[in-house]
Parts: sequence; structure tokens; C-alpha cells
Amino acid sequence: MKPASTLSTAFLHPAGQALPEPLLALRKQRGAALVDMPLPTRKTENWKYSSKYLKLTDEMAVSLPTAGKTGSALAVPGYKVVFINGVMIPEASEYPDLNNILIQRFGDLSDAEASELAERLDTTLNTKEVQFAGLNSARFEDGLMIRLNPDAVLDQPLFIIHEVTADASGSAFPRIFVDAGRNSQITLVEEYISSGQEAVLVNSVTEFTLAEGANVTNIRLSMGGENVQHIGATGVTQQRSSRFESHCVGFGGPLRRHDLQVRMEGEGAECKLNGVVVTQGTQHYDNHTTIEHVAAHCDSEETYRNIAADKSHAVFNGRIHIHQDAQKSNANMNNKNLLLSTGAEIDTKPELEIYADDVKCAHGATIGQLDEESLFYLVSRGIDRREANVLLTMAFINELVAQIPVEAVRDTVQIRLNQFFDQAFQEA
Amino acid sequence: MLSIKNLHASVEGKEILKGINLEIKAGEVHAIMGPNGSGKSTLSQVLAGNDAFEVTSGDVTLNGENLLAKVTEERAREGVFLAFQYPVEIPGVSNLQFMRTAVNAMRHHKGEPEMNAAEFMKLAREVSKQVDLDPAFLKRGVNEGFSGGEKKRNEIMQALLLQPKLAILDETDSGLDIDALKVVSDGVNALRAEDRAILMVTHYQRLLDYIVPDYVHVLADGKIVKSGGRELALELEERGYGWLGIKDEATADSSALSNSAN
Repeated sequence: MKPASTLSTAFLHPAGQALPEPLLALRKQRGAALVDMPLPTRKTENWKYSSKYLKLTDEMAVSLPTAGKTGSALAVPGYKVVFINGVMIPEASEYPDLNNILIQRFGDLSDAEASELAERLDTTLNTKEVQFAGLNSARFEDGLMIRLNPDAVLDQPLFIIHEVTADASGSAFPRIFVDAGRNSQITLVEEYISSGQEAVLVNSVTEFTLAEGANVTNIRLSMGGENVQHIGATGVTQQRSSRFESHCVGFGGPLRRHDLQVRMEGEGAECKLNGVVVTQGTQHYDNHTTIEHVAAHCDSEETYRNIAADKSHAVFNGRIHIHQDAQKSNANMNNKNLLLSTGAEIDTKPELEIYADDVKCAHGATIGQLDEESLFYLVSRGIDRREANVLLTMAFINELVAQIPVEAVRDTVQIRLNQFFDQAFQEA
Repeated sequence: MLSIKNLHASVEGKEILKGINLEIKAGEVHAIMGPNGSGKSTLSQVLAGNDAFEVTSGDVTLNGENLLAKVTEERAREGVFLAFQYPVEIPGVSNLQFMRTAVNAMRHHKGEPEMNAAEFMKLAREVSKQVDLDPAFLKRGVNEGFSGGEKKRNEIMQALLLQPKLAILDETDSGLDIDALKVVSDGVNALRAEDRAILMVTHYQRLLDYIVPDYVHVLADGKIVKSGGRELALELEERGYGWLGIKDEATADSSALSNSAN
């Protein structure tokens, strides 16, 4: 059977009407734009290496039910908001009621607030490049709005747990919008997890708008199961002297796609994007990042590491676009890749587009294997070969894991990495 | 303790060791000298189990056990230690973590309880003083950004921690200034023990002023061509390798400090 060339109409039916009218109207409008949306193929440049992993069925088009779900009892330090299948579970959530920070589900917004939000949704992403963001906008059933007033500081990290319950085939559309006011500060942890075994689609969008001097740290953990196809996007716009820091840690799956787009629109803005991806078995993971230096005097620093074992496949595409007026831009992109097996594949493509003439811009990409000499050195000291492999693989990403600013997240990541090592380096 | 009989080894099809015979008893210190390309480093690597080198024939036993049948990590746990000529830099693995993992692998093998981080730190600090290595080096990546001398001291530190039965020192004097040479030699001399054998591989006799060997062997073209006592090294110092019928371009330069390439 020839795969469908356009998105099945089955995907055009949103569920859940418990949203303010302006958001329902937005959804409808976005849905109309999806009619005959072409699905990516090998010839679609930004899906070249990943289109073959995308397997959407009509069974997966149905919104997953949320009735009767109670939410995971994950113990997290700090505040948490739990979503199941894209819908918030208030009784599982714990966060402060502050007068300068609004944390509210979409369903609870007033019409006026919702109307303002509807104007701003999708504005941080280039939806021509990130088509599936449009699907989220046509289908979200709930979402989380976070608004930090000027100078507001959230004193602890806010965890947003997005769980998908795959007891039946279907899809979920998690949505987050963060409006960080002037000089405000927040650390937001997004954790995508799953339960159940049926084939599901998670199509998420998270957006951040940073006003002058805002300081936002986003940690994104992609931890879904082997039955979860996840197509996610993160959009960021930055005004003058704001700072955005992102730590994306991803474990592979049947399809994992994350588009991260950052636009630095105000002078003196700064972004730091770190990424770690590990894949094994026949897993896949594709990171597409875009950094737009629109204004002058902005700094960007991007460091991504992929580790692919067995017959897995990781993709990194990093684009830096320095606009004509973005003089004195400072952009640094580095992508290193480690193949743990001859059957694994990594495709990496740094893309630099520079239209200003007074900029500092550097990029580097490497692909390699574990160093035999280092391995011999370690085992010559009596260290077990498996342990030596783990030490060297961990060494490849240590620096990035260590930079994750929340200890509980580092611990979670390390536990998952240990599981990865157990599979990847079995005892001889 | 170590018995090498008619050892042949090649790399990429080229024979480097062409029949080595050597017996080392517990408590003895042996020096193997020879010009560049004679096979000194190959011998060290073969004993440690580097599978880039293929043993084509011969036997090696350590305390009666067939060493060649064991993989590198097993040899290490049985007490073989190689101080590398060029210790590899491993950024991302801290020196401390590396050494503790190695010590615990050894303890595990002996059925001893593992050392926790605090216990090991205490031990590591003491031993680092013995080789005059600032404990700050423990926190750095393995050999990362170390000078040549610091790398060599780090090697000796590992030997002191692991307490091997057979310590093989491959050109441990290369790249050392005179002060570092003294520190390293003190470390090696501290290793000397009744139940331990030491095999030093060196191009120059300089090291032997500080670590006095019981026996000296001259390796040329993959074979031991002459063996003797300490005086043989002095004779080589004075006369070079030529009188043994060995060509060695580097010998002309032997009065200079050895190569400080790293």
C-alpha cells in the first residue's frame, strides 16, 4: 500500500470543547488550514532522514480519553503540573497561587485572557517549517498558560509532567505557553512520559516569549515508550538582554522529532542550547534547531551530542541564521556524535546563513567511535570492559549532563542512561 | 615470577619480536635497553595484552599461569601493570573516578570490599603526595592537559595504588626533567618489594642511575642479544650500541636528555 501523501481527514476532528470561545475559534481556523496538508516524504528537505519513521494511522487520530485518569504520583522537588493526554489533572498538580505569576490551564482562562492568548499562539514558530505545530493548534484540548509579571521570580523549578496513557491507539496534543515579563525568571522542566503499549502520537508545542531582561531556563526530557511517536516543537522569541537556556535530553523511540526555534529580536539577547540524544535498538531521534540572530549584539551557543547504538538512527540539523542587521553577533555551534555500533546511523548538518559582515560564527560537527586506545588504557588497569565502555560513553556527554541545573533531573537522566548502558553494553 | 619463552609477535603482519626469552624472579628489577625500533615498546604492550599486536608463537607465564590466554583486564587483575610511554588523555572521566574504579575492580577480584568515595579520596591524597602530584589533578580528566612529567607521575601513582605483582615501565623517564625524574624514581623505588618484579624499558641509561637494576638486557631487532648486570648499562652509556653490532642513530645523541616530545 502506498503511504498517504496528505494528512488523513481523521486527524481534523478535535475533541474536548471545554475551552474558552477564542481558543475554540483558533482551533477551528488552524484545522481548516490543515486540509490536504502534505505529509513529509524523503524529498521534504527538513524530514529527509525521518519521514520513513512517521507512521500515522487513522486509529491514532482519535484523541486519547482523559476521563478517570488520576495522574502519575511522580515525586518531584518543587512545583508540578500534571497533564494526562494533553489535559491538566488539577488534583495531581501542586503550584503556588501568586499574584505576580499566573499559572493556569487554558480551560480556566477568561474570554479576554483567552482572546489575548489566541493572538499570540504560534507566533514564536515558523509554521511553514514546523507544519505539525499547526496540527497541535488545531487539536489541543487544554494547555498551560504561564505569565510572569515584570520582575516576578518563580523560586523553584516548575515541573510539567506530560503523560500519555497508551491503553488504546490515539493521540495527545500537549500545549504550553510561557509569557515571561520584563526581568522575570523561571525554570521550567517539561517531562514527556508514557504508560500503556498501543501505538500513539504525541504532538506537542511549547512557546516562550521573553520580554526585556527575562531569564528562562527550559529543561525538556523526552522519555516516552517504544510505542510513542512524538513530534514536538519549541518556539522562543527573545527581546533585549533576555537570556534563554535550554537543556534537551532525549531517548529514542519509533519516531522522535523536536524542532527548536529561537529568535533573538532584541539587542544583547543570549541563548544557550544544550542537547543530548541517545538511541538504541531500531530507535530514531531527530533534532532540528534554528537560531535566528535578528538583532545585533546577540550571543548564541549551541552544543548537541548524539549517541547511537545498535541499528538506531539519530539526526541533527542545526541552522544559524544571522540577519543583515545583526552585526556583532556571536554564534557558536558544536555537534559531536558517537556511533556505538557499525549498524547505527547519525546524520548531522550544520547550516549557517550569514547576511551581516561583522560577526563571529563558528561551527563544528564530528562523528566518531569509542577510542580504542582509551579503552585499552582503562582495561589495562583491571577495569571491566563493559564498565570501560560506559565510562567512555558517559565521558562524551558528562559535561552536558552536569550543566543541567536541577539535581533531580540529573538523577532521572542518569537512571535512564544506566538503563541505556545496560542494553547497549551487555556482558560479553 | 615472569617467564617469557621464545616470544614472537607481529603488528600488521610485520614481525617485531623474534624470539624473546626472559626470566624474572620476584623481587628483581630488570632493565631492557635497546635502540629505537628494537621492539621494547612492543614487548611491553604484548605483556599488557594490547590486541593490536599478534602473538604468533611462544609462551608467557606469570607465577606459572598462562598470561597470553588472558585478556587485558584479567592480566591487570592478576597483577600486571603497564606504565605507558604515552598515557592517553580521557576528558570527561575524572582521574579520581578512573583510579577508584580501577582500585575497586582489583579489590573486587581479590574478594575485598570496595572503597567508598571518601575512603578512596583519603588514600588518593596520600599517594599523590608520594609522587608530588597536586591533589587538584585528581579532579581533572584522566591525564587531560597534563604535562609529560605529570602524566608519568600519574602513571606511577596508579602503580602505587594498584600494587601490582609485575610492573612494566615503558620509557618512564622520557620527557622528564631531572627533578621529575627523581620523583618518579622515588616512586618506582617505593614499589620495589620482595614479592614484586619490575621490568623497566628504556632507551637511556640515565634512569638506571636512580633505579638500580639487578639485570640489564639489550634488545635489538626483536631479540635479546646480551644480558648482564648493572655494569652492562654503564658500558652501553660509554660505548653506545655499536660494539654489539647494533645500528642506532639515536645513540649518538645519548648524552642529551632523552626525547621530551610530550
